[in-house]
Amino acid sequence: MSVIAAIRPDDWNLPLFLHILGAMLLVGSLVLVVTAIAADNLRLGFRTLLIAVIPSWIVMRVAAQWIASKENVDDLDPTPAWVDIGYSTSEGSLLLLIVATICAGLAARRARGGGLRTATLVLVAVSLIAYVVAIWAMSTKPS
Amino acid sequence: MYDTLLFFHLLAAFILAVTVVIYSAVAVGVPAPGRALFVADRCWDVGGLGTLILGIWLALYLDEYDIFDGWIIGAIVLWFVATGLGQSLQRRMASGDTTAVATMHWIRTLVVLGLLVLMVWKPGA
Repeated sequence: MSVIAAIRPDDWNLPLFLHILGAMLLVGSLVLVVTAIAADNLRLGFRTLLIAVIPSWIVMRVAAQWIASKENVDDLDPTPAWVDIGYSTSEGSLLLLIVATICAGLAARRARGGGLRTATLVLVAVSLIAYVVAIWAMSTKPS
Repeated sequence: MYDTLLFFHLLAAFILAVTVVIYSAVAVGVPAPGRALFVADRCWDVGGLGTLILGIWLALYLDEYDIFDGWIIGAIVLWFVATGLGQSLQRRMASGDTTAVATMHWIRTLVVLGLLVLMVWKPGA
């Protein structure tokens, strides 16, 4: 599968590029959220989640669906494990990111974040760990 | 072996993206905390070395590719351009000289995007 991936058809390249670009921006902006909130800059953390993280997630997920339709991986029975891992981490993490955005927004409106700040950090950290698992699944493609 | 190399090569590329995102925030005028810049600079060091070493290792490991393929040579050249810009940016930020920092960052971002284009399209492969 990996060697096949190394010599993929040309018309898969644009959706793959957008998928990787969206995923890179997603991970990069999540790290910015962590550093901002760890430094008590709750406003920057909230804005980054709203302006960068959620839009990056959309780019990553839409492009993932695009390339999945080109590769017809959804039609395979059973669906390959790496595809299932990709879907479950991306869709599961969206819920975490939405809750993290709400927590960060509420924390930013208060003088002190307290539990909301900690909740945001934990949710973002869990999402980042999930994305490392997704990168592993996308690159090693376990069947 | 190929899978492991590719995973860590990709992971290193994602670490590079952390630097690009954090410096983009600085370039558009966000007062990023000093800790964020420290993380961004260390990510540039680790991600840069990781992508280069693991990328060359992959090119040598796979029979489909040759280290002297045009797209691989192009990627190595772009890597050196991005690294030069990155080192210069780090020095300027450390000395408080912020002139041209934003311009240099956006050029570096374009170079990194160029690297991603080469890695996906692999022209001539």
